[in-house]
Amino acid sequence: MKMKRIMSLAVAAFGIGLLALPALVQAQNTFSDLPRNETLILENPEGTVKNAGWFNIWAISGGGQSTGLHQVGMDTFWYIDPEKGLEGVWDNSLASDKPMYNADFSEMTVKLRKGIFWSDGVEFTAADVVYTVETQIKNPAMRWGAVFNLNVASVTASDAQTVVFKLKKPNSRFHAVFTVRWQGAWIMPKHVFEKQADPIKFDFANPISLGAYVLKSFDPDGKWYIWQLRDDWQRTSLGRFGKPGPKYLVYMDPGPPDKRVIAQLNHQLDVVHDIAPEGMFTLAKQSKTSQAWFKGFPYGHPDPTLPALIFNTQNEMFKNKDVRWALALLIDIKAVSMASYRGAATISAIGIPPTGTHPSVYHGPMQDWLKAFEIDTGKRKIKPYDANMGKEIADSLRPSMGAQIPTDRKQIDAAFGMGWWKPNPAAAKELLEKAGYKKVGDQWMTPDGKPFTVRVMVEGDSRPIMTRAGSMIVQNWRQFGIDAKVDVAQGTLPTRRGAGDFDTFIGWSVETWGGHPDLSYFLDSWHSQFVAEPGKTQPARNWQRWANPELDKIIETVRTVGFDDPRGIELGKEYVKLVTREMPTIPLMAYNVFTVMDDTYWKGWPTSGNAYTNPVPNWGNSRYMLVRLKSAK
Amino acid sequence: MRAFAIYGLKRLGQFVLVVFIGVNIAYIITHATPIDPVEQSIAAVTAFGNTSPEAINMMRESLRELYGLKGGPLEQYVNFWRRIATGDFGPSLSSFPTPVMTLIGRALPWTAGLLLTSTILTWLLGNLLGGLAGYYRNNRGLKLMGVVAMGLHPVPYYISGFVLLVIFGYVWPVLPITGGSDVNLNQAMDFNHVLSIVKHSILPAASLMVIGMGGWFLGMRSLVSNVVTEDYVTYAELGGVAHKRILFSYVMRNALVPQVTGLAMTLGTIFNGAIITEQIFGYPGVGALLVGAVYAGDYGLVLGVTTISIIGVSAAVLLIDLIYPLLDPRVEAR
Repeated sequence: MKMKRIMSLAVAAFGIGLLALPALVQAQNTFSDLPRNETLILENPEGTVKNAGWFNIWAISGGGQSTGLHQVGMDTFWYIDPEKGLEGVWDNSLASDKPMYNADFSEMTVKLRKGIFWSDGVEFTAADVVYTVETQIKNPAMRWGAVFNLNVASVTASDAQTVVFKLKKPNSRFHAVFTVRWQGAWIMPKHVFEKQADPIKFDFANPISLGAYVLKSFDPDGKWYIWQLRDDWQRTSLGRFGKPGPKYLVYMDPGPPDKRVIAQLNHQLDVVHDIAPEGMFTLAKQSKTSQAWFKGFPYGHPDPTLPALIFNTQNEMFKNKDVRWALALLIDIKAVSMASYRGAATISAIGIPPTGTHPSVYHGPMQDWLKAFEIDTGKRKIKPYDANMGKEIADSLRPSMGAQIPTDRKQIDAAFGMGWWKPNPAAAKELLEKAGYKKVGDQWMTPDGKPFTVRVMVEGDSRPIMTRAGSMIVQNWRQFGIDAKVDVAQGTLPTRRGAGDFDTFIGWSVETWGGHPDLSYFLDSWHSQFVAEPGKTQPARNWQRWANPELDKIIETVRTVGFDDPRGIELGKEYVKLVTREMPTIPLMAYNVFTVMDDTYWKGWPTSGNAYTNPVPNWGNSRYMLVRLKSAK
Repeated sequence: MRAFAIYGLKRLGQFVLVVFIGVNIAYIITHATPIDPVEQSIAAVTAFGNTSPEAINMMRESLRELYGLKGGPLEQYVNFWRRIATGDFGPSLSSFPTPVMTLIGRALPWTAGLLLTSTILTWLLGNLLGGLAGYYRNNRGLKLMGVVAMGLHPVPYYISGFVLLVIFGYVWPVLPITGGSDVNLNQAMDFNHVLSIVKHSILPAASLMVIGMGGWFLGMRSLVSNVVTEDYVTYAELGGVAHKRILFSYVMRNALVPQVTGLAMTLGTIFNGAIITEQIFGYPGVGALLVGAVYAGDYGLVLGVTTISIIGVSAAVLLIDLIYPLLDPRVEAR
């Protein structure tokens, strides 16, 4: 009896406790003392920053970067927008004009804006720039130390607003170091750092800012950072475009994808940086206020990055371009698109991401060339290009996705990409036989009689979309009789990629400005002078370790041509033709980022219909979004 | 007493040996990792940049020197033990130059607070209810509780975490689902901050307790079920001793000894952190720190966490071995 009474009391207490829970916590809102209608909450994809109090961005791996620090606290000479830009793609930020080179590109002069101030009231001048460069030359382990050491013979301030760089060797792209595409060489506050004994070991706590916002507070455990609009925001380079909408910015780690979805459904995360396609579809279905780059399918913003199947061309199996082409003709890009992005991919057959200016400069104008392009299988010539592949993907999705799939061809091309290589197992067989490979029973053998075994290295669950793409390619190849295997590298990928410890892998060795057609951003690093010997570490980005004299010639010519010179585009097209013929990597698609924005508190987001900038919040360029955002409450 | 002192010294020697071997194994494993911290750092800073290959080579050399990775293996090993002796694990390579101990010191209170509280509460509730269930075998409520405990016990705790997350984070969004406390809250240890920490710990703690309690419940129930059949219990019942006294003084006290050992072992492992719980609930702690360090190839930090964990578990076992003869008269120090 007594026991029963105890049990009844326990159950009653539990019930009362459960009912009292809402009273205890009242609301799920975890923001204290920030007016929500003045606060923009963005995801920091770095996650939880373990060394939260470290703000010295010039020291490598010291602390967080996309905590708002480089987006709204830092500044440098120029920005190139991956989309259209507020007033054009190129923005003179701290510089008042474009870079001025001498005739042989051995000297660069930069004119600086007047009236720009650090958040502590000290004026920004050429002395800060000289200090930034000289300090990092003296400390080569600092972030831009090596770049400055290799390029800069001297840096001088002719006056408070003029800096002259004398270069060690001609370099028509030296300004790229100070040009933001995600990031650039940020300018250091001389008056703060010069008081420090060792600039590498200085944490830059309570950082002063050159951007329009200043750090208000941060979580010592690295979950969140709050930035407040400076009272003197007009005295920053962003001030030219008007007052930024949000007074407060919260860059936070909302946790894994499911929690990002929950947080946005509860209107507690205004900008999701990226989620899996499934999360994107959930938000599109369940949240009336969520929107992405594209109004409907495929939603995501195509970053100027080109995921591809990258061959290790130093591997004997892949030295012959016929083998590389055979493997390309075995890939069913529709299946890869479905497996990876659930169809929400923007495909590209050529070695340039289908985003920013590129479709109109490269993909579109090169369609006729691609349609006419032929490869010789040894038995016949075939035209492998199918210009309708993007449309076919859209058509196949229409029955299930309905009106979300555009019908206008231009919109389809922008969203799903144009064409790709039509799967052609018969031609692949002929190409492999031409290269000396043989099929014995159900198994393909290499010319020296060994089984043709191909490992496709993928990153694993830390990059699920690319991992799924790799798995589908393995399946395509296995169906043809090639002993293909998925090779999950997880955290070892950067080390293995650098050491050339792979047959093939899913990654990207092509990244561009997006908003500017110049390809030197990645192309210069593809010169054979940088290709490492087998077994030695390969510096970024020519992970395919591909050396080609024709490519060297193109790169060497690009180096002598100005950044905006139209000849650069022609050279870019030559590069496209060469890599299409040679296929050192099999381009797949743009890196689509499912950045999702919530209309509940803010409106004026950048979208494909209003492409004034890239909404992906960890980009330095995302600061331009802030001046167009207006409160929705 | 002399026998106990000799026994204690022997166990202390074993403790030192276990820690030494454990730390050495951790050292070998972390240094055999295929992840190169310099390459990870370079990959992180060049992931979005257009740094020239020559510059990257130069950066690589500079970082090797800065991180102190240039000495031979023996020199690094000797330096490691020299530092350990002074409680210094050196700088974190993924948060250079911040000392490893600073990072661990920041994360440990969160883990210890969450796991210590939830483990002790789970242990107390599980054992109390398990004891009652074992003694009052015909009680329907306790029988039902046994069925529930048996059903929940094999469920992995990340499942319970996700279920709680969906229920209290989305369906009935009354509890915070991420972080250790409110955003923008004054970090001083005042009432608001403490309340916020408690609120944020409810879901992660509940996910651990819901599952963890089942094990203690079932263990205690079967222990008590055995003890109640002992002659001295029957004799006490026949002698008219009150049930409450029999239960708490005769039955549970005797059944508790193995459970105390289990508790000590569990408490020792809290230094590992609850990796999955911390990931699911975005809770700051040692587990999240360890995962990040493994991915970054930051072997200084991995070694720091594992060494503390090795010492924690070994110390717990040592403590229990030393206390046992005092707790249980059946155990004798020889």
